[in-house]
Amino acid sequence: MNFLSLVSIEAKKIRRSKILLILAAATVILWLPSIINADMNFGMQAEGISPEHNFLIQGFLGMAWFMFPASMVVSTVLLNMTERSNHGILKMLSLPINTAKLCLAKFVILLGLAAVQILLTVGMYFVSAGIASQTQDYDFILPPLFVFKEAGLIFVAAIPMMTFFWLLSVCIQTAIFSIGIGLASIVPSVLMINTKIWFVYPMSYPFFVITTEYGKLAENMTVEQVDLIPWIPVAVSVSIICLLISCLCFGRAERR
Amino acid sequence: MNFGLEYKKVRRTGFTLLFLGGGILAAMVPILNMAVRSEMYLGLPGSPVRILMDANWQMMSMLNILLIVAGACLMYHIEYADNAVQRMRMLPMREYNLYLGKMVLMVLMCVVVLAIETAGTVFCAYHWFWTFADTETVWAELLKNFGYALLLLLPAALGSLVIASVCKNMWVSLGIGVICVFTATMLPTDNFVLSLFPFAMPFQLFAGTAVDTVRNFIIAAVIEVVLMGIAEILFLRVRRSLE
Repeated sequence: MNFLSLVSIEAKKIRRSKILLILAAATVILWLPSIINADMNFGMQAEGISPEHNFLIQGFLGMAWFMFPASMVVSTVLLNMTERSNHGILKMLSLPINTAKLCLAKFVILLGLAAVQILLTVGMYFVSAGIASQTQDYDFILPPLFVFKEAGLIFVAAIPMMTFFWLLSVCIQTAIFSIGIGLASIVPSVLMINTKIWFVYPMSYPFFVITTEYGKLAENMTVEQVDLIPWIPVAVSVSIICLLISCLCFGRAERR
Repeated sequence: MNFGLEYKKVRRTGFTLLFLGGGILAAMVPILNMAVRSEMYLGLPGSPVRILMDANWQMMSMLNILLIVAGACLMYHIEYADNAVQRMRMLPMREYNLYLGKMVLMVLMCVVVLAIETAGTVFCAYHWFWTFADTETVWAELLKNFGYALLLLLPAALGSLVIASVCKNMWVSLGIGVICVFTATMLPTDNFVLSLFPFAMPFQLFAGTAVDTVRNFIIAAVIEVVLMGIAEILFLRVRRSLE
């Protein structure tokens, strides 16, 4: 079986899981306060950021800090539970399929869910920016290319984090620990981005990227120079190690 | 008997370990914060407990509430996972007792977690603020703070249990719980009506709040606890009549 058909089978499995509803609800809640408090965007002269940029960045900060990582933890639970309930995983493991391939196919689905959530957020951004423009008589809508660039940055920066969450959910058989560790690891990311060793903590990457973007857009804020050299190698090696271990561990407990 | 049964059910799921670990993690927050940058806090006016709570309570309460949401999901997940709940329904007892048993266990776990966090705060108060610390006032203040925190944690705990009992799939209840926590972080803290949202209440601080506000929050918390209990009864009635 080739990889693409494996991915499409995995996609079929989560068709009726209502996960899209949960992801969509989260994005709606994300932008609601921005619409209600749209007038606050005009009081940002101290930072020197324009109202329309502030509108976008504040929303993305809220997403990258908690909502997006937490949704990804929920998604890993979904991918795991659909297989484990009713022992579906045993049937999958009895088929002549490479387990590493199966694991990677599931991870691709996780990446797909992440992309869907980011696209939903971008879509909701245009809707809410449109509404805010109407209520405030000011054009909040930014060019789509810029918005997609920022959203793409979050997605790419989140990949190491997702490999870590995926590792947790595959290797820790007790579901509650993988959830607990995943959710608890999100909370300190606010502290980590202010330290010098932020690049060793994958959970802080999306938030860090958006904070630096904020610094670039705001004229009066000191921009922290992003050192790509320790960051990119560390991020890539974290992702590869996490994926490798999860591929090796996948289905190990069931095969015993 | 009911409570003992609930404890036996979660014994091998790592539930207790999760709460102990979460409590220790939250207790480490003020200790680490003081260890890394104590010079930021030592010069501040006010009592040591208040300084510590102001500096760290946001993060500690965030951990508490995530812990509660995950724990509630687990408690109902073990019922729904292999249709164990159908056997429970067959027993000669009210289905509501299931909720009550889980509730007692959850409240007990909240007490344990908050006790660990109190211990962490006490350690900080004595280790870094020992020159200012007046033993009796520190203890009285701490007990008031964490008693208040416990009471305000209850609506969120019972609410997440209700959500978990409604949804058969763990990811749905976890997803709704996460969305509720996220909503709570987005709400403005200075608005009284909005901060009555059950998942936003645990972020409230006792230290530095006016007596009137504290009383209002206590009344609101008690009312919400009662409402959550009624919501569960109504939900069980409705589900039974529909199934």
